[in-house]
Amino acid sequence: MNLFQTLALIAIAALFVLTLIAAVRGWATRRDALLWALLWLVAGVTIMWPGVTKVIANALGIGRGADLVLYCAVVVMMIGFLMVYVRLRRIRREMTLLVRELAIRDAISERKPPSDEAISHEATKEGHFDV
Amino acid sequence: MANGQTTECETLPDSARTATFVVIAAYNESTCIEQVVSEVRAEYPNVVVVDDGSTDGTFEAAKRSATHVLRHVINRGQGAALQTGIGFALSRGARVVVTFDADGQHRAEDIKAMIAPIWCGECEITLGSRFLGGTENIPASRRKMLRMAVLFTRIVNRVNVTDAHNGLRAFSDRAAREIDITLDRMAHATELIDQIRLSGLPFKEIPVQIRYTDYSLKKGQSSRNAIQIALHYLLGRVLR
Ligand SMILES: Nc1nc2c(ncn2[C@@H]2O[C@H](COP(=O)(O)OP(=O)(O)OP(=O)(O)O)[C@@H](O)[C@H]2O)c(=O)[nH]1
Ligand SMILES: [Mg+2]
Repeated sequence: MNLFQTLALIAIAALFVLTLIAAVRGWATRRDALLWALLWLVAGVTIMWPGVTKVIANALGIGRGADLVLYCAVVVMMIGFLMVYVRLRRIRREMTLLVRELAIRDAISERKPPSDEAISHEATKEGHFDV
Repeated sequence: MANGQTTECETLPDSARTATFVVIAAYNESTCIEQVVSEVRAEYPNVVVVDDGSTDGTFEAAKRSATHVLRHVINRGQGAALQTGIGFALSRGARVVVTFDADGQHRAEDIKAMIAPIWCGECEITLGSRFLGGTENIPASRRKMLRMAVLFTRIVNRVNVTDAHNGLRAFSDRAAREIDITLDRMAHATELIDQIRLSGLPFKEIPVQIRYTDYSLKKGQSSRNAIQIALHYLLGRVLR
């Protein structure tokens, strides 16, 4: 193993353990944790035995192992972007519903014009709005 | 479609006026909101202003003039603000809900023709049309863009309207309950047309006048926006 492999594997092992802790403590959903763990596993294997990607790449008709990794990375990133976008939309929607709830709860309506006998006291108060 | 006013509706009864809630969504319109509200309020006692997180004095100006004032603490866009106002109006027992622009482009006297067919049970929804009615000082580019928007609506939504992006609309309480605007910004106009079609509620276009002033043009939509709005709408349709 060269220096790069040693360092990268240590980092990946640490991330793997972190993912496990996150799953156990409930910081991440089980599905997310599983996806991450799988990603670390694949990364670990390809760093440890770089020949593996070449074998798979050749089987798929792609020349170099590094190309396969690149293609996969692009696809994974695209899916990632889409997932983030969908989540962003949901958060926006929830924000609107929250803002709406507040607006309706705190609606200010003008008081009905006071009847003649009530005028003297009420009308002198500051403003004429009820909250 | 244009010649719809039945004679029995010529004079709208007072009960119709008081049961009508006019919803005005406003974003940074402090300079004209009071004027717009008081013109509407001269005829309709229930004016609801939804201040959409304005950073000028719109909220204070609205409090001085409107019957009901609601405030979005964060700007959520016109679609979101209209939905807030409509929900509020229904909760206060509105029988007819009208939406009206805050930038002074609509005429308060057009509201009557919008309400009458609904009040008489002729239809559930009315949509204002500047192309059946008229426009004042509309720039040629703006007209072209609006025509394209109508074409877009006819093709994508398969609804035959002459003006899909007019802020002057009216809904019976039943129709207002069926409507649920989820596209927060300007794409809500197209979403609304979809919902009207899906609900099967009868609607009618009413000729109205839209006036373009230096003020409204400065604040209004640009052609670049139009493409953004169309994309927004299409994405909303795919991702739902
Ligand atoms: N609630 C809310 N209202 C907005 C927002 N932006 C614009 N509006 C309001 O929507 C109304 C119409 O907006 P405009 O930008 O003039 O759109 P338009 O009238 O369809 O387009 P023009 O033909 O260019 O005038 C006005 O009453 C604005 O105050 C926003 O972010 N939130
Ligand atoms: Mg306008």
